[in-house]
Amino acid sequence: MNLEIILFILFSVIAAASAVIMITRANPIISALFLVLNFACLAGLYLLLNAQFIAVTQIIVYAGAIMVLFLFVIMLLRPEHDLTLQKKSKIKFMAAAAGIFVFAQLVYIIFFFSPNASQKTSVQSSINSGTIEQIGTAIFTKYVIPFEAAGYLLLAAAIGALVLAKKKFE
Amino acid sequence: MIINYIPILLVIAAAAGFAGLVVYSSTLFGPQSPNKEKLSTYESGMKPVGTTKERVSVKYYLVAMFFIIFDLEVVFVYPWAVQFKKLYNQYGISVFISMLIFLVVLELGYLYVYKKGGFKWD
Amino acid sequence: MTTIPIEYYLVLSAFMFITGVIGVLIRRNAIIVFMCIELMLNSANLSLVTFSSYMGNSIGQVFVFFVMTVAAAEAAIGLAIIIALFRNKMTLNIDEVNIMKW
Repeated sequence: MNLEIILFILFSVIAAASAVIMITRANPIISALFLVLNFACLAGLYLLLNAQFIAVTQIIVYAGAIMVLFLFVIMLLRPEHDLTLQKKSKIKFMAAAAGIFVFAQLVYIIFFFSPNASQKTSVQSSINSGTIEQIGTAIFTKYVIPFEAAGYLLLAAAIGALVLAKKKFE
Repeated sequence: MIINYIPILLVIAAAAGFAGLVVYSSTLFGPQSPNKEKLSTYESGMKPVGTTKERVSVKYYLVAMFFIIFDLEVVFVYPWAVQFKKLYNQYGISVFISMLIFLVVLELGYLYVYKKGGFKWD
Repeated sequence: MTTIPIEYYLVLSAFMFITGVIGVLIRRNAIIVFMCIELMLNSANLSLVTFSSYMGNSIGQVFVFFVMTVAAAEAAIGLAIIIALFRNKMTLNIDEVNIMKW
C-alpha cells in the first residue's frame, strides 16, 4: 500500500458516507455541515488527480462561499416544526429502488463497456494539465466567449438575487 | 505528485492542532468548581424562556449572496493575472480587453446593487 | 495516478450522483433538495476532472471552472427564490408550493 491508495480510500469513503448522512439527517444544519465535509474530501481527491487549481477553487467557492450562504439561509428560515423525511414510506422505497437500479446500471457500464479504459497518459502530462498556467491559457484563448458569457451570467445573478430577496426598495 | 503537498498538510495540521489546543487548554488549566447555579443557562438573571430553535435574523444574507458572485469574479481574475505576460506577448492587447469587458460588466452589477441599497442594513 | 484505476473514481462519482437523486426524491425541505442538487453537480465535476487528468488534457478542468460559476449563480438565485417563497407562504415544504400545478 502506498500513500496514494491509502489517501484515495480515506477520501472516497468519507465522501460517500457524508453524502449518505447528508440526505438522511432531519436537521438541515447537520446536513449542510456534512455537505461541507463532502466538498473538502472532493478537494482532496482533486489533489490526488493532480488538479491543483480546481482543488483550491473548490475550497474557496464551495466550502467557503456557497455553503456559508446555505447556513445563513437555514438559520434565517427555520420553520416552526422542522421538516423530517418524506412521510410516505412507499415513495421512500420506490426512490431507493430506482436509485439502486440506476447505480447498478452505471457500475455495469463503467466496468464492462468503457472502451480502452486503461488508456493513460504519462504522469507528467497529467500534472501539467492541472496547473493554473494551462487552465488560464485555455480560458483566455479558446474559451474567451464562454468567459464573457459567464460575466453576464454573474451580472444576471447579482441583479436577480437583489430583486428577489430584498424586502423593500428605495 | 501527492507527496509534494505534505508541507501544506503539515500547515493544516498545525493550524487545527493549535486551535484545538487553545480551546482545550482552558479546560485543562482553568480551575473548575461547578455548581447548579453556575451551570444554569444565563439570560440576564431571568429564567430562560422559549426554545433554542428560534429563527435567527441574519440581516446580511444579501451581502453573502453578492459575496459569492464577486468571489467568482476574483477566481476568474487569478489565472488571467498569472498568464497575462505570456498571453500579452502572444496575442497583444485583446487579452487585456477581454478581461476589461468582464470586469466592466460585473461592476455595472455592483453599481446597480449599490444604488438600489443592496448593502444597506434594513 | 498510475496506481488507481479510473473506474474507481467513476464509481464514486456515480454513487454520489445517485445519492443526490435519492435525496431529491425523498426529502421535502426545499433547502435540502437544493443541497442535493449541489451534490449532483459536484459528482459531475469529479468525473470531468478524472477524465481530464487521465487524458492529460486541461479542457475538462476548464469546464469544471464554468460549472462552478453556474453553481454559484444558481446558489445565489435559488436561495433568493427560497427566501421569497418563505416570505409569501411561510413554508419550506415543496409539496405545498403547487400554485402552478394544473
